[in-house]
Amino acid sequence: MRAVPEFPILPTVRYLLVQAGEDLCVLPLPRVRRIVRNLPVTPLPGTSPELKGLAEFGGEPLPVLDLARLVGAAPGAAPPHPLTVLSWAGAEGAGELVGLAVDAVIEVVELAAEAVVAAGDGIVQGEATLGERPVRVIALSALGGPPAGARAAAGRPG
Amino acid sequence: MSGERLLLLRRGGGLWGVAQAAVREVARRGRGYRVRLAGEHDLMADDVVGVVADVPVRPAGVVSRYWGEPAGGLAVHGATPLVVVDPERPPRFLRLPRSDETETSDGDDRPTDD
Repeated sequence: MRAVPEFPILPTVRYLLVQAGEDLCVLPLPRVRRIVRNLPVTPLPGTSPELKGLAEFGGEPLPVLDLARLVGAAPGAAPPHPLTVLSWAGAEGAGELVGLAVDAVIEVVELAAEAVVAAGDGIVQGEATLGERPVRVIALSALGGPPAGARAAAGRPG
Repeated sequence: MSGERLLLLRRGGGLWGVAQAAVREVARRGRGYRVRLAGEHDLMADDVVGVVADVPVRPAGVVSRYWGEPAGGLAVHGATPLVVVDPERPPRFLRLPRSDETETSDGDDRPTDD
């Protein structure tokens, strides 16, 4: 009887694959709460372009961020029905619900931790390849942190 | 900040709240309103919506990070999100220079709808 070769079982993480401008990004699935279509957003005057504005969801105020802007992606064609991915940002267990405006939600994917090439401690945690396309791995924990003044002094993450 | 009474204002298409306790006077100014605060700033508003009580206010969180203006918090009135401003440090967008005491009926610095 031949011995069955042992293959290591690599741990994988489930992500939501989204289109943000010209880029593909993956969001950690455990942090995704809901996907909403055509969420009305009220802009705030004087914000940086990453912050699209405020929305209301479930009776709560919801900051809506532009994921393409956050990752520095080139803008894509404006989708006819923009989508907002409601996600928990900030520290694990003490996060804040935010909306991430994206151009499309594609599918749920799995990535092995080894497949992610670290890119830093900003919102783009790393990069990986799905099929033949590069994807940016988003760290929603990095969306918390210091306010704009402190961020400008320390250098902008991401 | 929950339980505080908030004066709600419209300005620039958005809804804003300021603690009623910090408001000294609301007066017509041109086509809008001047809101005199207890501190060193006044606010300008396109419209005054009214006073609401017991509105849950949550920390501004990520908004503070990307807005660059101090915010007292975020809340919702009806189905409309609003920013609660810090009366000591209101956003520049809402400030009215206190030196401008004139009650104008049609001035260049009147609140606008933009």
